[in-house]
Amino acid sequence: MNQSLRNSSDWFAGFLKDTPSFLKHTLYDKWLVTGLYVVSIFSALAVSALLIWATDGSWRSVFSAMLDGSLSNPGRWGATIGESTPLLLVALGTIISVRAGLINIGQEGQLLIGAAVTTFIAVRIDHPGPLILTLALLGGLLAGALWAWIAAGLKYWRRVPEVLTTLLLVTVAAQLVGYSLKTTTLLLDRSPDHANRNQVSDKIPANIRIPRLTIFGNEFPLSALVAMALAVVLAIWLVRTATGFRLRMLGMNQKVAHRVGVSAVKYGMAAMAVSGGLAGLAGAMMITGGDFGSYTFTAGFSSFIGWEGLLVALVARNHPLAAIPMAFIFGSLRTGSGFLAATGVEREISNVVQALIVLALLLPPAVLYARERRKLLATVKART
Amino acid sequence: MNWDFFEAIGDVASQSSVYEGGLRFAIVLAFVAAGEWIAEKAGTLNISVEGMLLGGAFAAAAGLHITGSVIMGILLGTASGLIIAWVQANMSHRLTADQFVVGLTLNILVLGVASFLNSSIRLDTTRAHVFEIPWLVDFPLVGRALFGQRWPFYLIYLVVPLCWLLLYRTRWGLEVRAAGENPHAADVSGIHVNRRRRQSIYVAGLTSGMGGAVLLLGQVGRFEDTIVNGQGFIAIAAVIFGGWTLRGAMFGCLLFGAVNSFRLTLPPLGYKINSELLSSMPYLVTILTVAIIATYARPPAALARPFIRDLE
Amino acid sequence: MSSQVSSPPLDVEMAGITKTFGSVVACDDVSLTLRQGRIHGILGENGAGKSTLMKILSGLYLPDAGNITIAGSAQHIDSPNTARQLGIAMVHQHFSLVPALKVWENVLLGDTGPLREKLARKKITEVSQHYSLDINPDAKVETLPVGVRQRVEIIKCLVHDPRIVILDEPTSVLSPAESDSLFKVLRQVVSQGNHCVALVSHKLNEILTATDDITIMRQGKVVTQLATSRADAAMLAEAMVGRKVNLPLALPEDRIYHGTADAPNENAAKPPTPPAKSPILSIQAAKACDTNGAVLLDSLNFDIYPGEITAIAGVEGNGQSAIDQLLSSLLRLDSGKVEVDGKTVKTGKPGAFEQAGVAVVSEDRHDSGCVMDMSLAENLFLANPQEARRGGLLQPKVMSARAQQMIEDFSITASGPQALMWSLSGGNQQRVVLARSLTSQPKVLIASQPTRGLDVGAVEYFLDRLKIAAEAGLAVLFISHELEEILHVADRILVLYAGRIIGEMPGQDVDMRRLGLLMGGIDEVPHSGVTHGATSGAAAR
Repeated sequence: MNQSLRNSSDWFAGFLKDTPSFLKHTLYDKWLVTGLYVVSIFSALAVSALLIWATDGSWRSVFSAMLDGSLSNPGRWGATIGESTPLLLVALGTIISVRAGLINIGQEGQLLIGAAVTTFIAVRIDHPGPLILTLALLGGLLAGALWAWIAAGLKYWRRVPEVLTTLLLVTVAAQLVGYSLKTTTLLLDRSPDHANRNQVSDKIPANIRIPRLTIFGNEFPLSALVAMALAVVLAIWLVRTATGFRLRMLGMNQKVAHRVGVSAVKYGMAAMAVSGGLAGLAGAMMITGGDFGSYTFTAGFSSFIGWEGLLVALVARNHPLAAIPMAFIFGSLRTGSGFLAATGVEREISNVVQALIVLALLLPPAVLYARERRKLLATVKART
Repeated sequence: MNWDFFEAIGDVASQSSVYEGGLRFAIVLAFVAAGEWIAEKAGTLNISVEGMLLGGAFAAAAGLHITGSVIMGILLGTASGLIIAWVQANMSHRLTADQFVVGLTLNILVLGVASFLNSSIRLDTTRAHVFEIPWLVDFPLVGRALFGQRWPFYLIYLVVPLCWLLLYRTRWGLEVRAAGENPHAADVSGIHVNRRRRQSIYVAGLTSGMGGAVLLLGQVGRFEDTIVNGQGFIAIAAVIFGGWTLRGAMFGCLLFGAVNSFRLTLPPLGYKINSELLSSMPYLVTILTVAIIATYARPPAALARPFIRDLE
Repeated sequence: MSSQVSSPPLDVEMAGITKTFGSVVACDDVSLTLRQGRIHGILGENGAGKSTLMKILSGLYLPDAGNITIAGSAQHIDSPNTARQLGIAMVHQHFSLVPALKVWENVLLGDTGPLREKLARKKITEVSQHYSLDINPDAKVETLPVGVRQRVEIIKCLVHDPRIVILDEPTSVLSPAESDSLFKVLRQVVSQGNHCVALVSHKLNEILTATDDITIMRQGKVVTQLATSRADAAMLAEAMVGRKVNLPLALPEDRIYHGTADAPNENAAKPPTPPAKSPILSIQAAKACDTNGAVLLDSLNFDIYPGEITAIAGVEGNGQSAIDQLLSSLLRLDSGKVEVDGKTVKTGKPGAFEQAGVAVVSEDRHDSGCVMDMSLAENLFLANPQEARRGGLLQPKVMSARAQQMIEDFSITASGPQALMWSLSGGNQQRVVLARSLTSQPKVLIASQPTRGLDVGAVEYFLDRLKIAAEAGLAVLFISHELEEILHVADRILVLYAGRIIGEMPGQDVDMRRLGLLMGGIDEVPHSGVTHGATSGAAAR
């Protein structure tokens, strides 16, 4: 038998294994799957169009404006990549925790805390340069990790469900950040000549910003490449290293993992730290990357990136490589909405489109699974 | 510092307006918590109550705007909660999509739709009128808070006992509790586990939608995107804080209402208390409580676990 | 209690019932008649189709073909509710009780109509007095011991005054004494005239003692139907297994325990001589409780020696799972210690026993035996993925190569090394678990209920493997509820009762009467109740 062929199929099988178990039955029925996805995404767009039409807008102009804003206008790819970068980072963090069997839904808070700490380091330490940038990014990462660790610690120490803690800590993080933005010793803009300095931080000094690249007229921060590299590393690490193997084992069967010596506490704490750390890093790269606000930190700085990154991971079925295009799609919805002002349709419509698409992407696997079960059940008994 | 704090509490406690404000906040939580309690007893940690609350508030505003009738507003608000519940219930307990994911997405969707429609259409709304219950309203300190509110407020006196009766005095309630505790045993006994779970989410949708309507028509009067701002999550926190008893959940709502009331009334009285800390209080208190009670207060055994019957 | 006196005799006739699950034929043209006033035993091994047949009768499954006639009229039973309306009630093999609810709430579960607490209590009291099944309707089920829970289950079934009662393996959690009293209740039920009972079991003794008619099923088909009075154990065993059995079942009648023997045996008191070798695994004064404070292990003492199979016999729920968990590093002892090869192992620490050389083929392979969502190859590398590492990365090729070897060595049926565990049959999953356990070159092999849910061929294969392993010098601990299996393989038998070893005997020439008494918690002196002292015969070495 052709050896290389067999290897590649093994490798592919490795990917299949990592898809959620409910897809396994139906994964081979490609046409059905594709058809369902097309239909449901189309329905999501149709519902959005209906909503625009109902409010006397023109859905044609809305969709074309969104395309202009994200992809078709020159230079917009850069903006979209910039928006996608933190989404991707948050998604990668989510993937790690899910694979370890933990549900971290508090990325929004971890991201805010990370961004706040990065801002603090960047504006308060007087030694500008790449060193401080590194330090600031590292600080953001650590802060996010520590924030997630509150939930992890309570889980393993007092058995408090991490879903709950991470969720509740989002608001606490927002309040904490809000407080620090009112306090001059923390984050509030110190320059007295700024007339309107309500809940705004100092600007990040120009030499503590992430360098921006320009490719074919598309400008985006270097962090985009870092995020993509991390996705590739994570994909390989999960499948091809002993620790990644153990982490996946823990997520799939905690008892077996315990028996063979994988400590749920050790791996769980580590996974949670990486998960929160990546969210914190996302925040740090947002503030120093430049696509969000103008290098100043504000109360609403996170702008739902934490929540949406969670959805990216979900739509990517917890696969790091699939998260790259998904993050890009979500990013383009965000940048696209920026061009809506001219159409007279409120920009909130992009959130609607986005949520509808996520729901639409949730449907096909669920429908397929239900259909598969119904088939099985029909052979077993009459009642559902 | 400490003395300041107690003095402040003393000052606040002697003001009847504090009870009014606190109770108003608590009542909205109570609507949501009562329904969420039933949903959790059936085994769903239903985080889309946040969206149901917001949807209810928006639909109530729209209903009042279109029909001019407060009752229609409340009905429409309740119905919109039910619609959101329908999506959540069927996606998570018919199609077996993850309940948290569906909940999160619904929250984002409802926020998007409500804010989009709100900025596209101008809604004229007013509040329901105040209805004072004679005699009782003159009760010192808390009389006005309990019996002198706008009339939708009083719906809570109906909803909470109903929820309790539903769960503990009907066969439906028994089956719901069985579905949340041991779905496999319930299934073998001939109970439609997922149907009961869906229905319990509908109940959560109804009460949360109504809570949203009461929030808008009984209190705020004008719809804004930020009108809910995490109150749904606080209600979830209250249910957990109460150790999955209705009594405890209601106590949690009152406590969190009181904290919120302090946050609003202390500064005008001249006390400087960190408002961010007070805003975080419900969450911190809940996390702490759960950390303390986690070992003895038992959640429904199958909470947040989907039920899929084994195929033998 | 019923008004059906003038109606035709309540015979249940199932004719030509066929039921397939995918490619598996669970019931193949089965015909069965339950007669009014009689207890009908349905005997068969695991997977013979008896449970499926009864689930069809109780409306949980719909048959592919066949007719059901009750009291002369044809019935289409399409749901448990229909079955209930026809007066059919079933006690399931696994508990259908909700632990967090009270007894009366559980009894009402699955009923219809408004919730009437008082009426429920009244009925429970009536039923419990009528059948002398003592119960407190207000107790939470989770606070009740397992035998009492079974009682609740029976009351839940009888409270509707069913005319047709089905019991699926009801005695698996009961001691012999508890079983006997259950059979008395059943006798009382059928003695009312227009009732019939179907008792599903794979235990010969209980079929012989408790029933009037017997149907024997094998591989989805009815093999024999006969009256109990004309049956004997050897013949039943042979019909059930379908060939001359070499399990010790086909032994003379006197070796089969009936639970009522009374003459004490002089041999029994002599403790067997311990093997001269030093123990490889030694559990000393182990005590453990579960989270509710119920005692799991109570001063457990025993040793295991290389080259022999030590079997732990006992009724389910007496600490077997706890021993399994303890040796899987999943249970931490409150006191006492475990030594492997002379070194104390820290209990409950992740991987502690695996590293000490204790391999466990555990009771519930889905739960803690293997990872269902990983491939066969990956499941062989659970404990030591680094062995597949070449050049810093895990190599799927290396994993597949070893898996291929194992597939051949253990004759595993699978589509290939990359087949996911869930796609394998139960027997093959168990072979993978065994393969993984044996390739780690353990010092001790623990097999805890390894044959549960396997077909006859798989069981035999598995028991043979254990024998081979012991002959090769491995110390083997075999925990099972199936006495036949234990008698088949054991060199030494320990009897577990209430979390401690209350008796020990050699694996040859077993005194069945004593073994039976020990399993019921009675050591040596008959009719003296439960002994907790358990000093004679003795475990503590």
